[in-house]
Amino acid sequence: MLETSVYIHFPWCARKCPYCDFATTAKAPAEVDHEAYADAVLRELERRREHLSGRRLYSVFFGGGTPSMWAPKSMGRVLEAIRAAFDAEHPELEVSAEANPASIDDDWLLGIRDQGVQRVSIGVQSLGDAQLKHLGRLHDRKLALAAVGRAANIMPRASADLIFGLPHQSAEALLRDAAALLDLGLRHLSAYALTIEPGTQFGELHRLGRLQPEPDESYIEHYQALEGFLRSRGFSHYEVSNYALPGEESRHNLHYWRGQDYLGLGAAAVGALASQPGQGERYKNALDAGQYMAGAGPAEWEPLGGTELVQEALMLGLRTQEGVSISRTESRAGQALSRGREAALEERAKSGDILIEGDRISVPHDRWLLMDSIVGALF
Amino acid sequence: MTVPLERIRNFSIIAHIDHGKSTLADRILDVTEAISKREQKEQLLDRMELEQERGITIKAQGVQLSFTAEDGLDYQLNLIDTPGHVDFSYEVSRSLSACEGALLVVDATQGVEAQTLANVYLALENDLEIIPVFNKIDLPGADVERVVREVEEVIGLEVGETPLACSGKTGEGVKEVLEELVKRVPAPKTEPDAPLRALLFDSWYDSYRGAMGMIRVVDGEIKKGQKIRMLATKAEYEVTELGVYDPHPKSVKSLLPGQVGFFAASIKSVQDTKVGDTITDRHNPAEVALPGFQEVKPMVFCGVFPTDGDQYKDLRDALEKLQLNDAALFFEPESSDALGFGYRCGFLGLLHMEIVQERLEREYNLDLITTAPSVVYKVNLTDGTQMDVENPSRLPDTSLVASIEEPYFTVSIHVPSQYVGQVIKLCQDRRGEQKGISYSSTDRVMITYSLPLAEVLFDFFDKLKSSTRGYASMDYELEGYRQNKLVKLDMLINGDRVDALSSIVHKENSFYIGRELAKKLKEIVPRQMYEVAIQAAIGNKIIARETVRAMRKDVTAKCYGGDISRKRKLLQKQKEGKKRMKSVGKVDIPQAAFHAILKVDG
Repeated sequence: MLETSVYIHFPWCARKCPYCDFATTAKAPAEVDHEAYADAVLRELERRREHLSGRRLYSVFFGGGTPSMWAPKSMGRVLEAIRAAFDAEHPELEVSAEANPASIDDDWLLGIRDQGVQRVSIGVQSLGDAQLKHLGRLHDRKLALAAVGRAANIMPRASADLIFGLPHQSAEALLRDAAALLDLGLRHLSAYALTIEPGTQFGELHRLGRLQPEPDESYIEHYQALEGFLRSRGFSHYEVSNYALPGEESRHNLHYWRGQDYLGLGAAAVGALASQPGQGERYKNALDAGQYMAGAGPAEWEPLGGTELVQEALMLGLRTQEGVSISRTESRAGQALSRGREAALEERAKSGDILIEGDRISVPHDRWLLMDSIVGALF
Repeated sequence: MTVPLERIRNFSIIAHIDHGKSTLADRILDVTEAISKREQKEQLLDRMELEQERGITIKAQGVQLSFTAEDGLDYQLNLIDTPGHVDFSYEVSRSLSACEGALLVVDATQGVEAQTLANVYLALENDLEIIPVFNKIDLPGADVERVVREVEEVIGLEVGETPLACSGKTGEGVKEVLEELVKRVPAPKTEPDAPLRALLFDSWYDSYRGAMGMIRVVDGEIKKGQKIRMLATKAEYEVTELGVYDPHPKSVKSLLPGQVGFFAASIKSVQDTKVGDTITDRHNPAEVALPGFQEVKPMVFCGVFPTDGDQYKDLRDALEKLQLNDAALFFEPESSDALGFGYRCGFLGLLHMEIVQERLEREYNLDLITTAPSVVYKVNLTDGTQMDVENPSRLPDTSLVASIEEPYFTVSIHVPSQYVGQVIKLCQDRRGEQKGISYSSTDRVMITYSLPLAEVLFDFFDKLKSSTRGYASMDYELEGYRQNKLVKLDMLINGDRVDALSSIVHKENSFYIGRELAKKLKEIVPRQMYEVAIQAAIGNKIIARETVRAMRKDVTAKCYGGDISRKRKLLQKQKEGKKRMKSVGKVDIPQAAFHAILKVDG
């Protein structure tokens, strides 16, 4: 059976952050029509149901936006319907939800736990008040620590996001933030280099020359310092921006990086399913929540052939410690992974940019900072 | 309709580029009712698509027109179109030698330009009757009086009481121009009973009939089926087809003295129909060829390489096809350590080079990397022999070189007087030697310089245009070779000499150019995963070094389900971009790097 994950997009935030390029719009929490959105998602699930036969549910992820603005009951209704739509599910089904420190309280955490969510990922970003202000976040250090503490107590699994490469951020401060979070009991941490994306407020400021990215050297310093620290605390660096204690990895995200199928539900959600080897498709739902709820179909659709499936498997898999499984990629793409890139693979293996061991291709950990160039050479 | 010799008029239209030659030619066709209104496509005489796009006539053609003059008699007018660019001046001179007269078209809003003069001199060399015509009088800026004065003062042509003013756009005055032409241009002369002599003044390739030529009969008669001999190539053929353009091709049985037409004779390629050659009868050959024949020699060379090595054969096929129709195009296989297998191609000049490159890419769908253009150096070796070097990387070891000579051009630049200073500075910077400076009118100046051709190739024309706000016009001709202190400048990338980046420069400027070129390359070569050292060297001595620092971070922070497509497309696009680069060692070098030398300010 085809292992398939499900991603549900919740399209609203209390406020849009200036660096965020995700599909989200600001909405006052009181104005969210929890049930109406859940109904729309369920209608979409019903439409896509026929594609789910013969598939096994591998993981579920509520992302956004700010899913912690969504009523646990509504989330539970959606989760229940998703589980019912599959013929089978993984014995250790992982169900995660993203949360914002400013909008989680004990009720919400207890509520989602009762509905079957085991894992939360909290968008802390930083514990420095100056940095949080720069990032336009609604919380401060105190609120963030309280939220993470609560989540770590109530939920079976909890993780937090950090952003590095921020102005006036020292590597020491970054490590202090990470240590404070680990002290609250977190066994998983994501740490992202700040990326200035076009179309965001930061992107616009950058275009106008009023915001400059930090020099590469400071990114590198932060990245290496954090990695060294987390390693010393027993965490493995299992993906470019993710760290976990053994067994605490995000299975939902690993599923993406393994190039596997995922169903996307909700406004702006993306799904990618391959029905047969070398024949897949990816869709992106209507971006506007109102239009989506009114029944608008996907805004984008693209076929995925063998070439694309191999390229994506490399692009995603090489980001991880486990690397790319050649056999799994070939059975999904319906073609040899090496086809058309024999010379590039040989050259990169020779230069040490990649390791080929049995069924695995991986990028040695000390070259991860050049990941895109290495992957690009294999395209 | 047979018209006696005394009522044949063979003429050309000569003009500076954009002075309206082709439009006037169209109106002449109009007045003589050679084409129906429906067919009046703008500038009918420019055949090739590229010519129309660039507004330049590359191939000469001859059109036979009939005109009933005021005297009530029918005249046969043969309009011989000439190429409008200085790269093709030899072809222009051959076309002119097929005529007895020329209309000198001068834009009444502009005045005399460098090319106007160059063409007038060519016409005078061929003893043509020159009739000045003042064009574009429909435009508000037209000042016939001023331009007439310029023609009289600068060129020294008598214009007379009533200047011929016309508009190629509206047709006004065109009939009067033809009347004047009939009156003033002499009829062709011929030697009665002499054996056949016909001048071949243009040739092209036809996929059904092989190489064809435009000819002007001087003596005797050429007939279909006749056995002919070419005096320069010594080749012999049988005429399979004869005809004239009126302007549509029309077969004729024979062409008589003074007449102009085309012929075909199952000739394989235009390499065998050399412009300027004399055609005679095989059994009763003329002893003396018509004057003026020259072998066309390419002046400018560059390496042409396919970006994708698999296209090597396609490139050869394309060059062979182009050569069928372009006798001036030269090519031979070349291999470069940096760029792989390709061809060294020779051209008449920069425009010719650009046109060929563009046609290769556009018509034959080839992705090419071209090296910077180079001239032909004459290298005197210590053993007393001389060799031609048209590829800087092939220059023999300095220990074997006694001296190097480089080609010089006489360059005439026409410019409004306020830009004289800029032009002189530019020419001095380019190792020029002033030969003359004269005021053609109170505000127009003609500056003549001897300039090394190599300097003219290096972005000279763009520099000239930009430093004179586009007002300068330029003409040039080969002057000869001069011995100079020249050295080979090599560029090294990560310690490897990149042959395609070598150049030959003057010793005095060599350090400066080396440093500047290294700096330019540093800007052009993208950051890579490893540090890239760019060095300039003369002989074994490194004279400059720049470093492209290694890229240290190139990794996407977030890559989840919603980011995958965009990220994949980005990497695919980068891959496409890399295809246009050449990998030298491990370093990806974009096409622009091979032309960087052109952008170094000398």
